[in-house]
Amino acid sequence: MNQTLWDFFITRQDLLLELILEHVGIVLLAVAIAIVIGVTLGLLSSYYSALASIILPFTQIMMTVPSIALLALFIPIFGTGFLNGLIGLVIYSLLPIVRNTYIGIKEIDKGIIEAAQGMGMSERRILLKVKIPLALPVILAGVRTATVMITGIAAIVSAVGAGGLGELIFRGIARTYRDMIIAGTILISLLGIAADYGLKAAERSLTKQQS
Amino acid sequence: MIKIKYENVVKQFPGSDHLAVDNLNMEVHEGEICILVGPSGCGKTTSMKMTNRIFEHTSGHIYIDGVDNRDINPIELRLGIGYVIQEIGLFPHMTIADNVATVLVEKKWPKNKIHQRVEEMLNLVGLDPEIYSKRRPSGLSGGQRQRVGVARALASDPPVMLMDEPFGAVDPITRARLQNEFLRLQEQMKKTIIFVTHDIDEAIKMGDRIAVMRYGQLVQYATPDDLLSMPANDFVSSLVGGNRSIKRLNLIKVEDIDLYRPPEVAEGDSKTKVVEAVAGDKLGVALVVDDRGKLVGTVTNTDLKRKGEYVKDIYAPAHDLVGPKSTLRDTLSIMLGYGEGYALAVDQEGKPRGAVSVDDIFSAVKDNE
Amino acid sequence: MNRRNLIWIIVSFLLSVATIFYFVNYPGGKMAARLLNFETITKAYQQHILMVFVASAAAIIVSVSLGILITRPFFSKWASIVDNIVNIAQTIPSLAILALFFTYLGRGFSTAIFALWLYALLPILRNTSAGIQNISPGIIESARGMGMSNLHILTRIELPLALPVIMGGIRTSVVITVGAAALASFIGAGGLGDLIVTGLSVSRNTLVVAGGILSALLAIFLDQVLDLIEDSLRIR
Ligand SMILES: Nc1ncnc2c1ncn2[C@@H]1O[C@H](COP(=O)(O)OP(=O)(O)OP(=O)(O)O)[C@@H](O)[C@H]1O
Ligand SMILES: [Mg+2]
Repeated sequence: MNQTLWDFFITRQDLLLELILEHVGIVLLAVAIAIVIGVTLGLLSSYYSALASIILPFTQIMMTVPSIALLALFIPIFGTGFLNGLIGLVIYSLLPIVRNTYIGIKEIDKGIIEAAQGMGMSERRILLKVKIPLALPVILAGVRTATVMITGIAAIVSAVGAGGLGELIFRGIARTYRDMIIAGTILISLLGIAADYGLKAAERSLTKQQS
Repeated sequence: MIKIKYENVVKQFPGSDHLAVDNLNMEVHEGEICILVGPSGCGKTTSMKMTNRIFEHTSGHIYIDGVDNRDINPIELRLGIGYVIQEIGLFPHMTIADNVATVLVEKKWPKNKIHQRVEEMLNLVGLDPEIYSKRRPSGLSGGQRQRVGVARALASDPPVMLMDEPFGAVDPITRARLQNEFLRLQEQMKKTIIFVTHDIDEAIKMGDRIAVMRYGQLVQYATPDDLLSMPANDFVSSLVGGNRSIKRLNLIKVEDIDLYRPPEVAEGDSKTKVVEAVAGDKLGVALVVDDRGKLVGTVTNTDLKRKGEYVKDIYAPAHDLVGPKSTLRDTLSIMLGYGEGYALAVDQEGKPRGAVSVDDIFSAVKDNE
Repeated sequence: MNRRNLIWIIVSFLLSVATIFYFVNYPGGKMAARLLNFETITKAYQQHILMVFVASAAAIIVSVSLGILITRPFFSKWASIVDNIVNIAQTIPSLAILALFFTYLGRGFSTAIFALWLYALLPILRNTSAGIQNISPGIIESARGMGMSNLHILTRIELPLALPVIMGGIRTSVVITVGAAALASFIGAGGLGDLIVTGLSVSRNTLVVAGGILSALLAIFLDQVLDLIEDSLRIR
């Protein structure tokens, strides 16, 4: 690492810390909201195939929409700022979570469900005690994919004034300030890698518990 | 004539501390089927794969027609050796015809000759080219895929074939049929074949000579007959199994024994005629043949209770027939499934050859011992 | 032929045309009208598509060759290293790559193409190597056992079998590149992103929305076209 970049990290540590917190904050909030909505939609889709045939292709199409375009489309509704960025990130996190919830539930061995029914468990109990626990590793894998993905996309929400580490990159472009850009890039990538490893570890410990 | 000779062949996989093949010495005679048999991991596949240099041996020599296989360019070596593996390895993106043509294309045969040859090969293994050439492997049953695998290996008429559990992935009935068909082909082709299996019944049925392996070593190399009567040690006798008389049934083919012939009637014959025939037969059965002489069914006392003026109205359609290459072991299983105390044998064209009864099987085993 | 793909292709095309006509007729003010006219929009499309096309084409050539190379037995040790590099590189946002190249190569179209190309390499490389590695060993061994040369094994067995997977990588890569190209406007490379970026800086919602809709529809259109191709290559 060259000297000026190092200096940048040292002298701007307060700014960097603030931006990291903003970045992590918006990502965590978005993922939390997406888990609530996504798991619900995924569960509903697993019960109502008509719903599944609408929701799954729709989330799939949303994924192909460029992030800057999606954020742009919300501007007339939500204006610029945190809310716009948050909603954009929630939408991107939905697909992996909805799809993995749906697949996780659908791939449970039919025999297990039948056994639960045979023992007289109500559908609600089956969902809470059998389906969700068994689908959990798959759902968690979806959460991981979503988190890693939107950690990167969150760099772009700065363009609509939602803050985060993307600020460093946009400001760096505006001032042709290479160290600032590199610092932003490194921090965003590190956050992405950390999220990936952290959630992978969580998945692993969960699978181990279950087996 | 010795076709393939293994001389002090050793194989040690890199990073492994034991020998996968430990000093193999063996001679395979021209035109014979040499079976490699033994428990899982004993080195059968490895021995086979060293022959066409899919694996390179660590030391020793493998001679083919007296030439060390290391002195032959691997591509050339392999083009002259048919190869069928357990997973069959059909190419899923190619049609059946293209699969069978693989080696011919590699050998740069002209297109029209390839086409002709492919049709010939598919017919040979009993697949109608009209129906199957343009299909892909995914559109075939397990048994049909095995046939394509064999057709593909035979296409360029290689003098040597390597077959690793070629009939491993199908149900026992299909397997028996494929084995019989293959033996019939081999009778004409007279190829030198190295055939891996871990099914001792298959080994006894198919092999001219059987090589029993264990821990990478050759334990006994003998004809099926000798293997049954003179197992070299306890390991071989336990592999062959306790019930050796039953195993011996694998050695005898239906074509090897004399058969009793029940009376025959034609489809168009009257009921009175068949009543007479059934009454006069010691097994209480009459065989029904069509106008080309093929066995189509049987009439027994139960069938006679049915209403109808002619044989064709009352006979029971034939099923579970045995062919000339079926072993007495196969025949016995069919008989037990059939529940009749006898099984009906037909020849290549499907014409009746007679009935094999339990007594026939007993006396054949006694003569053979 | 997949009906759903076709419907999306037609719908996204028609919607794009409708969007262009709407915003040209109702640009929402004089300032926005300077960008919302047929000429400027056509030019933005040209730049955008050219960026995507050049970057993707170059990425396909390089990634497929590289993918073939690292799956040769000689390089087998490299395959997992390359996999790891690709995984880590994918956590870098496309915006960051554009920004970094901008500091070295300056503003403009060619900088953007270079950055997009580099970013587009990853999914294609990963899918090429995965597509070839996932072919069942029995198939390759049969080919070898029958005396096929290494070249023929590659061209007649490995590549045709990996093609649908490679095509999937190309599709992912193109979709990402369309999105990244919309960001290239921040480093002065033009494209449909110009509408969004200008709209944001002068606070004209019509510009922002027009740019958003058109680039979204372009991504959907290309995604569906490539999905259709991928589907037709799949081995049944
Ligand atoms: N490619 C390989 N690399 C390392 N070791 C191998 C390889 N192939 C086989 N071996 C080892 O060599 C020994 C012999 O294996 P081989 O495949 O020849 O057994 P086999 O008799 O064909 O068994 P099976 O009936 O299970 O097919 C085994 O211990 C096996 O683990
Ligand atoms: Mg084996």
